[in-house]
Amino acid sequence: MSSPDLNIGYMPLNDAAPLIIAKELGFFEKAGLDVQLRKQNSWATLRDKLHVGLLDAAHMLAPMPIASSLGLGCQPTAVIAPLIMSQNGNAITLSNNLVDDIVAENGLSEISFPLSAKLLAPIIESRKSSGKSKLQLAHVFPYSCHYYQLLDWLKQGGIQMEDVDIHVITPADMVDAMLNNDIDGFCVGSPWNAKAVRAGVGITVTTSFDIWGNAPEKVLGILKSRFDETPELFERIISAIKETCQWLSILPNRFEAALILSKTAYLDTPLEVVAPSLLGSCLTKPNTAPRELPLYNVFGALDVNSMENSIVEDFILLQKHMLSAKQIHNEVPKAHLLEILNANA
Amino acid sequence: MASNPAQFELSILLIDDNQARAESIQSALDNSRYCIKHITSPKFGLLKLVDEFQPDMIVIDIESPSRDMLESLHTISAFNPKPVVMFSEKEDTETINLSVKSGVSAYVAGDTDPARVRAILDAAVARFDAFQQLRQELDDTKQALEARKVIDQAKRLLMEQSGMSEQDAYKRMRKMAMDAGQKLEEVAKTLIAVMQNMKLG
Repeated sequence: MSSPDLNIGYMPLNDAAPLIIAKELGFFEKAGLDVQLRKQNSWATLRDKLHVGLLDAAHMLAPMPIASSLGLGCQPTAVIAPLIMSQNGNAITLSNNLVDDIVAENGLSEISFPLSAKLLAPIIESRKSSGKSKLQLAHVFPYSCHYYQLLDWLKQGGIQMEDVDIHVITPADMVDAMLNNDIDGFCVGSPWNAKAVRAGVGITVTTSFDIWGNAPEKVLGILKSRFDETPELFERIISAIKETCQWLSILPNRFEAALILSKTAYLDTPLEVVAPSLLGSCLTKPNTAPRELPLYNVFGALDVNSMENSIVEDFILLQKHMLSAKQIHNEVPKAHLLEILNANA
Repeated sequence: MASNPAQFELSILLIDDNQARAESIQSALDNSRYCIKHITSPKFGLLKLVDEFQPDMIVIDIESPSRDMLESLHTISAFNPKPVVMFSEKEDTETINLSVKSGVSAYVAGDTDPARVRAILDAAVARFDAFQQLRQELDDTKQALEARKVIDQAKRLLMEQSGMSEQDAYKRMRKMAMDAGQKLEEVAKTLIAVMQNMKLG
Protein backbone atom coordinates (compact mmCIF):
# COMPACT_ATOMS: atom_id res chain seq x y z
CA MET A 1 0.00 0.00 0.00
CA SER A 2 2.98 2.36 0.22
CA SER A 3 3.35 5.08 -2.36
CA PRO A 4 6.17 7.14 -3.77
CA ASP A 5 6.46 10.74 -2.53
CA LEU A 6 3.55 12.60 -4.05
CA ASN A 7 3.52 16.35 -4.54
CA ILE A 8 0.15 18.06 -4.70
CA GLY A 9 -0.04 21.79 -5.44
CA TYR A 10 -2.62 24.24 -4.15
CA MET A 11 -3.33 27.93 -3.90
CA PRO A 12 -4.09 29.45 -0.48
CA LEU A 13 -7.90 29.45 -0.58
CA ASN A 14 -10.68 27.94 1.52
CA ASP A 15 -11.51 25.47 -1.22
CA ALA A 16 -8.08 23.87 -0.89
CA ALA A 17 -9.64 22.35 2.26
CA PRO A 18 -10.14 18.85 0.79
CA LEU A 19 -6.37 18.59 0.23
CA ILE A 20 -5.24 20.31 3.42
CA ILE A 21 -7.63 18.37 5.65
CA ALA A 22 -6.79 15.07 3.92
CA LYS A 23 -3.16 15.73 4.79
CA GLU A 24 -3.68 17.08 8.33
CA LEU A 25 -6.30 14.58 9.50
CA GLY A 26 -4.59 11.57 7.97
CA PHE A 27 -6.96 10.64 5.13
CA PHE A 28 -4.01 10.42 2.74
CA GLU A 29 -1.92 8.50 5.25
CA LYS A 30 -4.73 6.03 5.91
CA ALA A 31 -4.77 5.29 2.18
CA GLY A 32 -1.04 4.58 2.30
CA LEU A 33 -0.22 7.80 0.49
CA ASP A 34 2.84 9.89 1.26
CA VAL A 35 1.65 13.33 0.17
CA GLN A 36 3.50 16.63 0.39
CA LEU A 37 1.34 19.71 -0.17
CA ARG A 38 3.04 22.50 -2.12
CA LYS A 39 1.65 26.00 -1.70
CA GLN A 40 1.91 28.09 -4.89
CA ASN A 41 1.97 31.84 -5.49
CA SER A 42 0.27 31.87 -8.87
CA TRP A 43 -2.09 29.75 -10.95
CA ALA A 44 0.28 30.00 -13.92
CA THR A 45 3.18 28.47 -12.01
CA LEU A 46 0.94 25.80 -10.48
CA ARG A 47 -0.14 24.87 -14.00
CA ASP A 48 3.40 24.86 -15.41
CA LYS A 49 4.67 22.70 -12.56
CA LEU A 50 1.84 20.24 -13.16
CA HIS A 51 2.56 20.20 -16.90
CA VAL A 52 6.24 19.38 -16.42
CA GLY A 53 5.58 16.80 -13.71
CA LEU A 54 6.95 18.69 -10.70
CA LEU A 55 3.48 18.31 -9.22
CA ASP A 56 1.64 14.99 -9.38
CA ALA A 57 -1.76 16.64 -8.98
CA ALA A 58 -3.14 20.09 -8.26
CA HIS A 59 -6.04 22.14 -6.95
CA MET A 60 -7.16 23.80 -10.18
CA LEU A 61 -9.73 26.29 -11.39
CA ALA A 62 -12.40 24.30 -13.27
CA PRO A 63 -11.67 25.92 -16.68
CA MET A 64 -7.90 25.31 -16.39
CA PRO A 65 -7.84 21.69 -17.64
CA ILE A 66 -9.85 22.82 -20.68
CA ALA A 67 -7.39 25.68 -21.28
CA SER A 68 -4.42 23.30 -20.83
CA SER A 69 -5.76 20.77 -23.30
CA LEU A 70 -6.47 23.50 -25.87
CA GLY A 71 -3.09 25.14 -25.32
CA LEU A 72 -4.52 28.48 -24.19
CA GLY A 73 -1.62 30.42 -22.66
CA CYS A 74 0.55 27.31 -22.68
CA GLN A 75 1.64 24.39 -24.82
CA PRO A 76 -1.33 22.04 -25.42
CA THR A 77 -1.08 19.52 -22.58
CA ALA A 78 -3.62 16.84 -21.70
CA VAL A 79 -4.75 17.50 -18.12
CA ILE A 80 -7.70 15.60 -16.72
CA ALA A 81 -10.10 16.58 -13.97
CA PRO A 82 -11.47 13.30 -12.66
CA LEU A 83 -12.84 14.97 -9.52
CA ILE A 84 -14.76 18.19 -8.85
CA MET A 85 -13.56 19.07 -5.36
CA SER A 86 -15.73 22.10 -4.67
CA GLN A 87 -18.57 24.27 -5.84
CA ASN A 88 -19.20 28.00 -5.40
CA GLY A 89 -17.15 30.05 -2.91
CA ASN A 90 -16.45 33.20 -4.96
CA ALA A 91 -17.89 36.64 -4.36
CA ILE A 92 -17.69 40.20 -5.63
CA THR A 93 -16.45 42.88 -3.26
CA LEU A 94 -16.56 46.59 -4.07
CA SER A 95 -14.51 49.30 -2.40
CA ASN A 96 -16.17 51.47 0.27
CA ASN A 97 -15.81 54.51 -1.98
CA LEU A 98 -17.57 52.83 -4.88
CA VAL A 99 -20.39 51.64 -2.64
CA ASP A 100 -20.77 55.20 -1.27
CA ASP A 101 -21.06 56.42 -4.86
CA ILE A 102 -23.62 53.71 -5.66
CA VAL A 103 -25.79 54.77 -2.73
CA ALA A 104 -25.49 58.48 -3.56
CA GLU A 105 -25.88 58.34 -7.34
CA ASN A 106 -28.86 55.97 -7.23
CA GLY A 107 -30.56 57.88 -4.40
CA LEU A 108 -30.68 54.81 -2.16
CA SER A 109 -31.23 55.01 1.58
CA GLU A 110 -29.20 51.86 2.09
CA ILE A 111 -27.61 49.06 0.14
CA SER A 112 -29.22 45.64 -0.17
CA PHE A 113 -27.74 42.27 -1.13
CA PRO A 114 -27.25 40.73 -3.60
CA LEU A 115 -26.54 43.96 -5.42
CA SER A 116 -27.31 44.33 -9.13
CA ALA A 117 -24.58 45.68 -11.40
CA LYS A 118 -27.31 47.91 -12.87
CA LEU A 119 -26.57 50.30 -10.02
CA LEU A 120 -23.09 50.87 -11.47
CA ALA A 121 -24.58 52.51 -14.58
CA PRO A 122 -24.90 56.08 -13.22
CA ILE A 123 -21.34 55.93 -11.85
CA ILE A 124 -19.97 54.70 -15.16
CA GLU A 125 -21.89 57.49 -16.92
CA SER A 126 -20.72 60.28 -14.63
CA ARG A 127 -17.12 59.04 -14.75
CA LYS A 128 -17.31 59.04 -18.53
CA SER A 129 -18.78 62.53 -18.80
CA SER A 130 -16.33 64.03 -16.30
CA GLY A 131 -13.39 62.41 -18.10
CA LYS A 132 -12.42 60.25 -15.13
CA SER A 133 -10.86 56.80 -15.57
CA LYS A 134 -13.07 53.74 -15.97
CA LEU A 135 -13.96 51.52 -13.02
CA GLN A 136 -11.06 49.16 -12.31
CA LEU A 137 -12.16 45.60 -11.61
CA ALA A 138 -10.08 42.47 -11.02
CA HIS A 139 -10.33 38.71 -11.09
CA VAL A 140 -7.77 35.95 -10.59
CA PHE A 141 -6.87 34.25 -13.87
CA PRO A 142 -7.87 34.47 -17.53
CA TYR A 143 -9.36 30.96 -17.41
CA SER A 144 -11.34 31.16 -14.17
CA CYS A 145 -15.01 31.02 -13.18
CA HIS A 146 -14.30 34.32 -11.39
CA TYR A 147 -13.77 36.05 -14.72
CA TYR A 148 -16.92 34.60 -16.29
CA GLN A 149 -18.94 35.36 -13.13
CA LEU A 150 -17.74 38.96 -13.15
CA LEU A 151 -18.67 39.26 -16.83
CA ASP A 152 -22.09 37.69 -16.21
CA TRP A 153 -22.80 39.96 -13.25
CA LEU A 154 -21.99 43.01 -15.38
CA LYS A 155 -24.03 41.68 -18.29
CA GLN A 156 -27.04 40.93 -16.08
CA GLY A 157 -26.92 44.58 -15.02
CA GLY A 158 -26.67 45.77 -18.61
CA ILE A 159 -23.07 46.97 -18.20
CA GLN A 160 -20.85 46.64 -21.26
CA MET A 161 -17.46 45.03 -20.84
CA GLU A 162 -15.87 48.04 -22.55
CA ASP A 163 -17.18 50.34 -19.83
CA VAL A 164 -14.80 48.91 -17.24
CA ASP A 165 -11.12 47.92 -17.10
CA ILE A 166 -10.55 44.33 -16.06
CA HIS A 167 -7.29 43.15 -14.46
CA VAL A 168 -5.77 39.93 -13.17
CA ILE A 169 -4.38 39.83 -9.63
CA THR A 170 -3.39 36.79 -7.58
CA PRO A 171 -6.06 36.04 -4.91
CA ALA A 172 -3.96 36.76 -1.83
CA ASP A 173 -2.97 40.23 -3.19
CA MET A 174 -6.53 41.33 -3.96
CA VAL A 175 -7.27 43.13 -0.69
CA ASP A 176 -3.96 45.02 -0.78
CA ALA A 177 -4.71 46.22 -4.31
CA MET A 178 -8.06 47.57 -3.11
CA LEU A 179 -6.50 49.11 -0.01
CA ASN A 180 -4.03 50.83 -2.32
CA ASN A 181 -6.92 52.26 -4.40
CA ASP A 182 -5.65 50.39 -7.46
CA ILE A 183 -8.99 48.63 -7.93
CA ASP A 184 -12.63 49.46 -7.25
CA GLY A 185 -13.87 45.90 -7.11
CA PHE A 186 -12.90 42.26 -7.49
CA CYS A 187 -14.23 38.75 -7.85
CA VAL A 188 -12.22 36.34 -5.72
CA GLY A 189 -12.62 33.09 -3.77
CA SER A 190 -12.96 32.69 0.00
CA PRO A 191 -11.55 33.82 2.32
CA TRP A 192 -10.33 36.96 0.54
CA ASN A 193 -13.72 38.67 0.40
CA ALA A 194 -14.11 38.20 4.15
CA LYS A 195 -10.62 39.63 4.60
CA ALA A 196 -11.66 42.82 2.79
CA VAL A 197 -14.76 43.18 4.95
CA ARG A 198 -12.90 42.52 8.23
CA ALA A 199 -10.24 45.02 7.22
CA GLY A 200 -12.94 47.62 6.49
CA VAL A 201 -11.66 47.96 2.92
CA GLY A 202 -14.65 46.77 0.93
CA ILE A 203 -18.21 45.47 0.94
CA THR A 204 -19.16 42.07 -0.44
CA VAL A 205 -22.16 42.80 -2.64
CA THR A 206 -22.91 39.46 -4.29
CA THR A 207 -21.60 35.89 -4.49
CA SER A 208 -20.98 33.43 -7.28
CA PHE A 209 -23.92 31.44 -5.93
CA ASP A 210 -26.18 34.49 -6.47
CA ILE A 211 -24.88 34.83 -10.04
CA TRP A 212 -24.71 31.21 -11.19
CA GLY A 213 -26.32 29.00 -8.54
CA ASN A 214 -24.37 25.82 -7.88
CA ALA A 215 -21.39 25.51 -10.20
CA PRO A 216 -18.13 23.58 -10.20
CA GLU A 217 -15.27 25.68 -8.88
CA LYS A 218 -12.10 23.68 -8.15
CA VAL A 219 -11.11 20.38 -9.65
CA LEU A 220 -8.30 17.95 -8.99
CA GLY A 221 -6.07 18.34 -12.04
CA ILE A 222 -3.78 15.49 -13.09
CA LEU A 223 -1.51 15.13 -16.09
CA LYS A 224 -3.25 12.55 -18.29
CA SER A 225 -0.01 10.78 -19.14
CA ARG A 226 0.78 10.45 -15.41
CA PHE A 227 -2.69 9.17 -14.62
CA ASP A 228 -2.50 6.56 -17.35
CA GLU A 229 0.85 5.28 -16.02
CA THR A 230 -0.46 4.53 -12.53
CA PRO A 231 -4.26 4.81 -12.51
CA GLU A 232 -4.52 2.74 -9.35
CA LEU A 233 -2.36 5.20 -7.42
CA PHE A 234 -4.46 8.16 -8.56
CA GLU A 235 -7.69 6.33 -7.75
CA ARG A 236 -6.39 6.01 -4.19
CA ILE A 237 -5.69 9.75 -4.05
CA ILE A 238 -9.15 10.48 -5.42
CA SER A 239 -10.92 8.24 -2.94
CA ALA A 240 -8.98 9.76 -0.02
CA ILE A 241 -10.07 13.23 -1.15
CA LYS A 242 -13.66 12.04 -1.57
CA GLU A 243 -13.63 10.72 1.98
CA THR A 244 -12.30 14.10 3.16
CA CYS A 245 -15.06 15.90 1.30
CA GLN A 246 -17.59 13.75 3.09
CA TRP A 247 -16.01 14.75 6.40
CA LEU A 248 -16.14 18.38 5.30
CA SER A 249 -19.82 18.14 4.42
CA ILE A 250 -20.64 17.78 8.13
CA LEU A 251 -21.16 21.31 9.45
CA PRO A 252 -19.73 20.79 12.97
CA ASN A 253 -16.45 19.75 11.31
CA ARG A 254 -16.20 23.01 9.44
CA PHE A 255 -14.91 25.02 12.40
CA GLU A 256 -12.08 22.52 12.86
CA ALA A 257 -11.33 22.80 9.16
CA ALA A 258 -11.18 26.60 9.45
CA LEU A 259 -8.78 26.32 12.37
CA ILE A 260 -6.43 24.12 10.33
CA LEU A 261 -6.66 26.24 7.16
CA SER A 262 -5.82 29.41 9.07
CA LYS A 263 -2.39 28.05 10.12
CA THR A 264 0.78 29.73 8.86
CA ALA A 265 1.71 26.75 6.70
CA TYR A 266 -1.56 27.03 4.80
CA LEU A 267 -3.60 30.24 4.45
CA ASP A 268 -1.69 32.14 7.14
CA THR A 269 -4.84 34.15 7.83
CA PRO A 270 -6.82 34.76 11.04
CA LEU A 271 -9.63 32.38 11.92
CA GLU A 272 -12.24 35.18 11.87
CA VAL A 273 -11.44 35.65 8.17
CA VAL A 274 -11.26 31.97 7.18
CA ALA A 275 -14.24 30.61 9.13
CA PRO A 276 -17.34 32.51 7.93
CA SER A 277 -17.77 31.15 4.40
CA LEU A 278 -17.01 27.63 5.62
CA LEU A 279 -19.87 28.00 8.10
CA GLY A 280 -22.28 29.27 5.41
CA SER A 281 -21.98 32.89 6.41
CA CYS A 282 -21.31 35.65 3.92
CA LEU A 283 -19.88 38.76 5.57
CA THR A 284 -21.12 41.84 3.74
CA LYS A 285 -19.96 44.90 5.64
CA PRO A 286 -18.70 45.68 9.14
CA ASN A 287 -21.25 45.83 11.96
CA THR A 288 -23.95 44.19 9.87
CA ALA A 289 -25.43 40.72 10.29
CA PRO A 290 -23.88 38.40 7.68
CA ARG A 291 -25.99 36.87 4.93
CA GLU A 292 -26.92 33.27 5.55
CA LEU A 293 -25.57 31.29 2.60
CA PRO A 294 -25.44 27.56 3.44
CA LEU A 295 -24.01 26.69 0.01
CA TYR A 296 -21.23 29.29 0.09
CA ASN A 297 -18.46 26.64 0.21
CA VAL A 298 -19.63 23.24 -1.01
CA PHE A 299 -17.21 20.33 -1.00
CA GLY A 300 -18.97 17.94 -3.26
CA ALA A 301 -16.41 15.41 -4.43
CA LEU A 302 -18.45 14.95 -7.55
CA ASP A 303 -17.09 12.64 -10.14
CA VAL A 304 -18.37 12.33 -13.61
CA ASN A 305 -19.09 8.62 -13.43
CA SER A 306 -21.45 8.94 -10.50
CA MET A 307 -23.29 12.07 -11.66
CA GLU A 308 -22.38 12.13 -15.28
CA ASN A 309 -25.04 14.29 -16.80
CA SER A 310 -24.99 17.27 -14.52
CA ILE A 311 -21.20 17.57 -14.53
CA VAL A 312 -20.96 17.25 -18.27
CA GLU A 313 -23.68 19.89 -18.59
CA ASP A 314 -21.70 22.11 -16.22
CA PHE A 315 -18.59 21.74 -18.37
CA ILE A 316 -20.55 22.41 -21.54
CA LEU A 317 -21.69 25.62 -19.87
CA LEU A 318 -18.11 26.45 -18.89
CA GLN A 319 -16.86 26.22 -22.44
CA LYS A 320 -19.82 28.41 -23.48
CA HIS A 321 -18.51 31.04 -21.08
CA MET A 322 -15.07 30.69 -22.68
CA LEU A 323 -16.74 31.20 -26.05
CA SER A 324 -18.62 34.31 -25.02
CA ALA A 325 -15.46 35.72 -23.42
CA LYS A 326 -13.92 35.16 -26.90
CA GLN A 327 -11.17 32.98 -25.44
CA ILE A 328 -12.09 30.21 -27.85
CA HIS A 329 -13.78 30.46 -31.22
CA ASN A 330 -15.27 27.00 -31.63
CA GLU A 331 -17.30 24.83 -29.29
CA VAL A 332 -15.27 22.22 -27.43
CA PRO A 333 -16.80 18.89 -28.53
CA LYS A 334 -18.61 16.97 -25.81
CA ALA A 335 -16.34 13.97 -26.39
CA HIS A 336 -13.34 16.16 -25.59
CA LEU A 337 -14.98 17.38 -22.37
CA LEU A 338 -15.77 13.79 -21.39
CA GLU A 339 -12.13 12.95 -21.91
CA ILE A 340 -11.06 15.84 -19.65
CA LEU A 341 -13.50 14.61 -17.01
CA ASN A 342 -12.07 11.11 -17.41
CA ALA A 343 -15.55 9.71 -17.96
CA ASN A 344 -15.89 5.96 -18.40
CA ALA A 345 -16.61 5.11 -21.99
CA MET B 1 13.78 41.26 -33.66
CA ALA B 2 17.52 40.90 -34.16
CA SER B 3 18.60 38.33 -36.67
CA ASN B 4 22.19 38.97 -35.78
CA PRO B 5 22.16 38.80 -31.99
CA ALA B 6 25.20 41.02 -31.49
CA GLN B 7 23.73 44.05 -33.22
CA PHE B 8 20.89 45.46 -31.16
CA GLU B 9 20.47 46.45 -27.58
CA LEU B 10 17.67 44.54 -25.94
CA SER B 11 15.70 45.82 -22.99
CA ILE B 12 14.78 43.38 -20.27
CA LEU B 13 12.17 43.74 -17.57
CA LEU B 14 13.40 41.72 -14.58
CA ILE B 15 10.74 40.83 -12.00
CA ASP B 16 12.42 39.38 -8.95
CA ASP B 17 11.82 39.81 -5.22
CA ASN B 18 15.32 38.59 -4.44
CA GLN B 19 17.30 41.84 -4.39
CA ALA B 20 20.73 40.17 -4.20
CA ARG B 21 20.04 37.93 -7.15
CA ALA B 22 18.65 40.83 -9.18
CA GLU B 23 21.80 42.84 -8.50
CA SER B 24 24.05 39.99 -9.48
CA ILE B 25 22.14 39.50 -12.72
CA GLN B 26 22.33 43.20 -13.41
CA SER B 27 26.06 43.35 -12.88
CA ALA B 28 26.47 40.14 -14.87
CA LEU B 29 24.90 41.89 -17.82
CA ASP B 30 26.84 45.15 -17.55
CA ASN B 31 28.58 45.94 -20.81
CA SER B 32 26.42 43.52 -22.72
CA ARG B 33 23.67 44.23 -25.22
CA TYR B 34 21.06 43.71 -22.50
CA CYS B 35 19.72 46.72 -20.68
CA ILE B 36 17.89 45.74 -17.50
CA LYS B 37 15.08 47.37 -15.58
CA HIS B 38 14.52 45.60 -12.27
CA ILE B 39 11.28 45.66 -10.28
CA THR B 40 9.96 43.56 -7.41
CA SER B 41 6.67 41.71 -7.97
CA PRO B 42 4.12 44.47 -8.46
CA LYS B 43 0.69 43.91 -6.91
CA PHE B 44 -0.94 45.88 -9.68
CA GLY B 45 -0.26 47.63 -12.95
CA LEU B 46 2.23 45.24 -14.49
CA LEU B 47 0.61 45.44 -17.91
CA LYS B 48 0.76 49.23 -17.87
CA LEU B 49 4.42 49.01 -16.97
CA VAL B 50 5.06 46.56 -19.80
CA ASP B 51 3.20 48.88 -22.14
CA GLU B 52 5.27 51.90 -21.09
CA PHE B 53 8.61 50.18 -20.96
CA GLN B 54 8.07 47.93 -24.01
CA PRO B 55 10.71 45.40 -22.99
CA ASP B 56 12.07 43.01 -25.59
CA MET B 57 12.09 40.27 -23.01
CA ILE B 58 10.68 39.60 -19.55
CA VAL B 59 12.65 37.68 -16.96
CA ILE B 60 10.62 36.61 -13.95
CA ASP B 61 11.13 34.47 -10.87
CA ILE B 62 8.94 31.42 -11.31
CA GLU B 63 7.69 31.91 -7.74
CA SER B 64 6.59 35.50 -8.28
CA PRO B 65 2.89 36.15 -7.55
CA SER B 66 2.91 38.50 -10.56
CA ARG B 67 2.96 35.57 -12.96
CA ASP B 68 -0.84 35.48 -13.29
CA MET B 69 -0.86 39.17 -14.16
CA LEU B 70 1.74 38.46 -16.81
CA GLU B 71 -0.35 35.52 -18.00
CA SER B 72 -3.17 37.86 -18.96
CA LEU B 73 -0.68 39.55 -21.30
CA HIS B 74 -1.01 36.60 -23.68
CA THR B 75 -4.74 37.16 -23.95
CA ILE B 76 -4.39 40.81 -24.95
CA SER B 77 -3.44 41.04 -28.60
CA ALA B 78 -2.34 44.67 -28.28
CA PHE B 79 0.78 43.47 -26.45
CA ASN B 80 3.23 41.88 -28.80
CA PRO B 81 4.29 38.43 -27.75
CA LYS B 82 7.48 38.58 -25.73
CA PRO B 83 9.87 35.88 -24.69
CA VAL B 84 9.58 35.11 -21.00
CA VAL B 85 12.50 33.63 -19.10
CA MET B 86 12.01 32.10 -15.68
CA PHE B 87 14.37 32.05 -12.77
CA SER B 88 14.28 29.42 -10.11
CA GLU B 89 16.25 28.89 -6.91
CA LYS B 90 16.69 25.22 -7.56
CA GLU B 91 19.20 23.62 -9.83
CA ASP B 92 17.23 20.93 -11.58
CA THR B 93 18.28 19.97 -15.07
CA GLU B 94 15.23 17.86 -15.69
CA THR B 95 12.93 20.76 -14.91
CA ILE B 96 14.95 23.02 -17.15
CA ASN B 97 14.61 20.71 -20.12
CA LEU B 98 10.94 20.07 -19.55
CA SER B 99 10.12 23.75 -19.19
CA VAL B 100 11.91 24.62 -22.36
CA LYS B 101 9.90 21.97 -24.14
CA SER B 102 6.66 23.23 -22.64
CA GLY B 103 7.00 26.66 -24.18
CA VAL B 104 8.79 28.74 -21.58
CA SER B 105 11.55 30.33 -23.61
CA ALA B 106 14.27 29.48 -21.15
CA TYR B 107 14.73 28.43 -17.60
CA VAL B 108 17.64 29.74 -15.58
CA ALA B 109 18.33 27.76 -12.46
CA GLY B 110 20.63 28.41 -9.54
CA ASP B 111 23.76 30.42 -10.21
CA THR B 112 23.97 33.69 -12.07
CA ASP B 113 27.38 33.31 -13.61
CA PRO B 114 27.61 36.24 -16.07
CA ALA B 115 28.74 34.24 -19.07
CA ARG B 116 26.04 31.67 -18.48
CA VAL B 117 23.19 34.15 -17.95
CA ARG B 118 24.11 36.00 -21.11
CA ALA B 119 24.28 32.77 -23.10
CA ILE B 120 20.88 31.69 -21.82
CA LEU B 121 19.29 35.02 -22.71
CA ASP B 122 20.85 34.88 -26.19
CA ALA B 123 19.51 31.38 -26.67
CA ALA B 124 16.05 32.41 -25.42
CA VAL B 125 15.85 35.29 -27.87
CA ALA B 126 16.99 33.10 -30.75
CA ARG B 127 14.55 30.34 -29.89
CA PHE B 128 11.71 32.78 -29.45
CA ASP B 129 12.40 34.38 -32.83
CA ALA B 130 12.48 30.96 -34.46
CA PHE B 131 9.23 30.00 -32.76
CA GLN B 132 7.51 33.22 -33.81
CA GLN B 133 8.65 32.73 -37.37
CA LEU B 134 7.35 29.18 -37.38
CA ARG B 135 4.03 30.35 -36.01
CA GLN B 136 3.82 33.08 -38.62
CA GLU B 137 4.47 30.53 -41.36
CA LEU B 138 1.82 28.26 -39.94
CA ASP B 139 -0.69 31.12 -39.83
CA ASP B 140 0.15 32.06 -43.41
CA THR B 141 -0.29 28.48 -44.60
CA LYS B 142 -3.60 28.19 -42.79
CA GLN B 143 -4.82 31.40 -44.35
CA ALA B 144 -3.72 30.34 -47.83
CA LEU B 145 -5.60 27.07 -47.42
CA GLU B 146 -8.68 28.90 -46.23
CA ALA B 147 -8.51 31.26 -49.24
CA ARG B 148 -8.13 28.29 -51.61
CA LYS B 149 -11.29 26.72 -50.17
CA VAL B 150 -13.35 29.90 -50.56
CA ILE B 151 -12.15 30.45 -54.13
CA ASP B 152 -12.96 26.84 -55.06
CA GLN B 153 -16.43 27.12 -53.59
CA ALA B 154 -17.17 30.35 -55.47
CA LYS B 155 -15.88 28.77 -58.66
CA ARG B 156 -18.15 25.74 -58.21
CA LEU B 157 -21.19 27.95 -57.57
CA LEU B 158 -20.46 29.99 -60.69
CA MET B 159 -20.12 26.81 -62.73
CA GLU B 160 -23.40 25.42 -61.36
CA GLN B 161 -25.44 28.58 -61.72
CA SER B 162 -24.06 30.03 -64.95
CA GLY B 163 -23.04 26.83 -66.65
CA MET B 164 -19.49 28.10 -67.11
CA SER B 165 -16.46 25.92 -67.52
CA GLU B 166 -14.01 25.85 -64.64
CA GLN B 167 -11.53 27.93 -66.57
CA ASP B 168 -14.11 30.58 -67.49
CA ALA B 169 -15.38 30.80 -63.94
CA TYR B 170 -11.85 31.37 -62.72
CA LYS B 171 -11.16 33.98 -65.42
CA ARG B 172 -14.39 35.78 -64.59
CA MET B 173 -13.46 35.98 -60.90
CA ARG B 174 -9.95 37.14 -61.68
CA LYS B 175 -11.29 39.92 -63.89
CA MET B 176 -13.76 41.00 -61.20
CA ALA B 177 -10.91 41.11 -58.69
CA MET B 178 -8.73 43.18 -60.99
CA ASP B 179 -11.54 45.60 -61.82
CA ALA B 180 -12.46 46.07 -58.17
CA GLY B 181 -8.84 46.18 -56.98
CA GLN B 182 -9.67 43.40 -54.51
CA LYS B 183 -8.07 40.14 -53.59
CA LEU B 184 -9.42 37.07 -55.34
CA GLU B 185 -10.44 35.69 -51.95
CA GLU B 186 -12.58 38.76 -51.16
CA VAL B 187 -14.32 38.59 -54.54
CA ALA B 188 -15.00 34.89 -53.94
CA LYS B 189 -16.55 35.66 -50.55
CA THR B 190 -18.83 38.33 -52.03
CA LEU B 191 -19.84 35.99 -54.87
CA ILE B 192 -20.69 33.20 -52.44
CA ALA B 193 -22.83 35.54 -50.34
CA VAL B 194 -24.67 36.88 -53.39
CA MET B 195 -25.25 33.50 -54.99
CA GLN B 196 -26.45 31.95 -51.76
CA ASN B 197 -28.94 34.81 -51.40
CA MET B 198 -30.15 34.19 -54.94
CA LYS B 199 -30.65 30.52 -54.11
CA LEU B 200 -32.74 31.43 -51.08
CA GLY B 201 -34.75 33.98 -53.01
